[in-house]
Amino acid sequence: MMNIEVGTQLDKIVILVYFALVMGFGAYFGKYSKSTSDYFFGGRRFAWWLITISIVATGVGSHSFVKYSTKAYQYGLSSTMTYLNDWFFMPLFMFGWLPIIYYTKVRSIPEYFERRFNPTARYLATMMILMYMIGYIAIQFLTLATALYRIYGIPLMLTVVLIAIATTIYMHFGGQTSVIFTDLLQGFILIFAGLLLFFLGIQFLGNQVGINGLSAFWMNLTPLQKLPLAHFNHPPDFNFVGIFWQDGIAGSVGFLFLNQGLIMRFMAAKSVNEGRKAAAVNVLFVLPISAIVVSNAGWIGRAITNVAPGILPSGMAANDVFVAVTNIVASPGVFGFIIAALCAALMSTADTLVNASSAVIVNDIYRPLSKKVKTEKQQLEFARWTSIAVKVIAVILVPFFNSFDSIYEAHGWFHSTFTPPLVVGVFLGIFWKRFTSQAVIATFLGGAFLMILGQFYPQLISPFDHGIELRPDRGYSYIGALYNIFVCAAVGVIVSLFTKSDSSQKLVGLTVYDVHKLKSIFKGSDVNEEVGECPVVNWKLESNDTDELRFSSNDMKLMKANTGDLVYIQDARWWLGGLKSAHSTYGKPHNEDGVVYINSSHLEHGQFVEGLSLRAEKEM
Amino acid sequence: MDFSQTWLPFLYLYGVGGIAFIIGMLIIIRSNALRLTFQKHLKWVWVLIFGFLFYAAIHAFFIFVAIGSQ
Repeated sequence: MMNIEVGTQLDKIVILVYFALVMGFGAYFGKYSKSTSDYFFGGRRFAWWLITISIVATGVGSHSFVKYSTKAYQYGLSSTMTYLNDWFFMPLFMFGWLPIIYYTKVRSIPEYFERRFNPTARYLATMMILMYMIGYIAIQFLTLATALYRIYGIPLMLTVVLIAIATTIYMHFGGQTSVIFTDLLQGFILIFAGLLLFFLGIQFLGNQVGINGLSAFWMNLTPLQKLPLAHFNHPPDFNFVGIFWQDGIAGSVGFLFLNQGLIMRFMAAKSVNEGRKAAAVNVLFVLPISAIVVSNAGWIGRAITNVAPGILPSGMAANDVFVAVTNIVASPGVFGFIIAALCAALMSTADTLVNASSAVIVNDIYRPLSKKVKTEKQQLEFARWTSIAVKVIAVILVPFFNSFDSIYEAHGWFHSTFTPPLVVGVFLGIFWKRFTSQAVIATFLGGAFLMILGQFYPQLISPFDHGIELRPDRGYSYIGALYNIFVCAAVGVIVSLFTKSDSSQKLVGLTVYDVHKLKSIFKGSDVNEEVGECPVVNWKLESNDTDELRFSSNDMKLMKANTGDLVYIQDARWWLGGLKSAHSTYGKPHNEDGVVYINSSHLEHGQFVEGLSLRAEKEM
Repeated sequence: MDFSQTWLPFLYLYGVGGIAFIIGMLIIIRSNALRLTFQKHLKWVWVLIFGFLFYAAIHAFFIFVAIGSQ
């Protein structure tokens, strides 16, 4: 690692102020967590745009800046490959997995495994997912601590502990609503800081060359560095086909179908359609922008090296390019702001994963194993303490990950070790009715065994290598994902064919073939698909314990709603994105047009403001 | 720049990825998860196809530009 003098007093202050602001912001939104449903899922109420921006901050981890800048510096625009290959599974996600998890009210991925298969499958999935997520949190802590301890000059492990405490403060009180709102703020900051760095870099290049900055940037990349996809199978540490199987297939399915944090985000959407919009906008528009945000320091660094070789320190490790370029092109204070954005990336990825791990522990271990039925308050308290325990374990794991050669390697090890059996299990579970409970357990255990075998005997992976060179003593890297998926799928298919399939009654609502029935299962009666209007109404409180909202007959006609249909009301101010909202059913109509009668439970849940009107929307 | 640096990755990406995409579309249509008779769902079909072509166009554009700048 090179010795870069990084950060001034002003930069240090900017970073500290940023941490304080985010903690305060998150803690404020804690008041919207009234139950475990709110704590984990945000109460199923948010608009698509809010979900979209908060996903940005979750997807862009702090390691992304370091990792992608490194590849961008070494290989140019092809560093964006992994951000631009997620569309292939969108049909299955939007119309298969998303409605299943939303309407069946599955609280966690392992719970799906129990409903679809059996409790053993659930426990195996729980263990694998927890190990994956807690390890991932440890990597996030390590990445940021590595950057910050050099700026503040405090020991690495102490920095890790301080970061863990900072994220705990707002998460402990806020849960998912805090996570979503801090991620919203941090998503904006991330994108702004990344694009600011790009702008400053281009300006710097323009000043060096004496022409327009963008032209200077473009002209100083070689044709090879302008290619958007890497060489097909060379070199072993960065080739197209290996990365396609590791990231485009295993990674995309893992991210869309198995990332508990992401799933919880979509479950916080006010409807499935809002979830679809969030997913589409995220993959179509936000991911390409994110690719620029995380890679541009490397591109700028490469162009600077091409145009003026002496500016970046000679012998600089590629891993240092993000900090080095930021240090050169940004003035004091701005450097601090960009490093604060790195903090944003860390905190938002870590908080999502901590919340998700906590959800898995509460839903898949605590609830099933509790002999006594616990109250909501007890469960919420347990969830909060669990999130602290998760962080403590993650902090303890940091030294282990620090022993890897690089964060990139530690991250790659995780993906290739824990994702394929789960990917195959969930994918065949959703899309192949014949996939049996015995087969999923065989996939987890037998598949994992064959994967380990592949690690020790790389010649097993050779038939899948697409001509990628086998590195002595280091084996295959990315293309191992193809072998892993193949062996897990083969075990799953073969065992399914030799075992008795599960009864079709057990599978109701859990495969893509029942998606068209899910709405009526969710509602408990026939679905009303008539499209009506969304009137703005004033609310009045009535003392009533039933979970019903009462509108006037005329307003119900306007909405084309019937008594018993599902309804969603929210504060009419669109920019709140559904923060103040509630779900309920239509009760008996009255005669006061423009008025909705709500009860104290709706008021408490929705936090509606006296004198401010609400917008009503028939759901189904 | 040879074929394995330019168009081979592109063809593999949209060939193998395209197969996954088409199979996905067929599964959701045949299972009635996506109903072509629903106006709302029909819009999504166009969005899904647009997304596929959008990414293919971005990648093809940059490959053309890179080849042209040799």
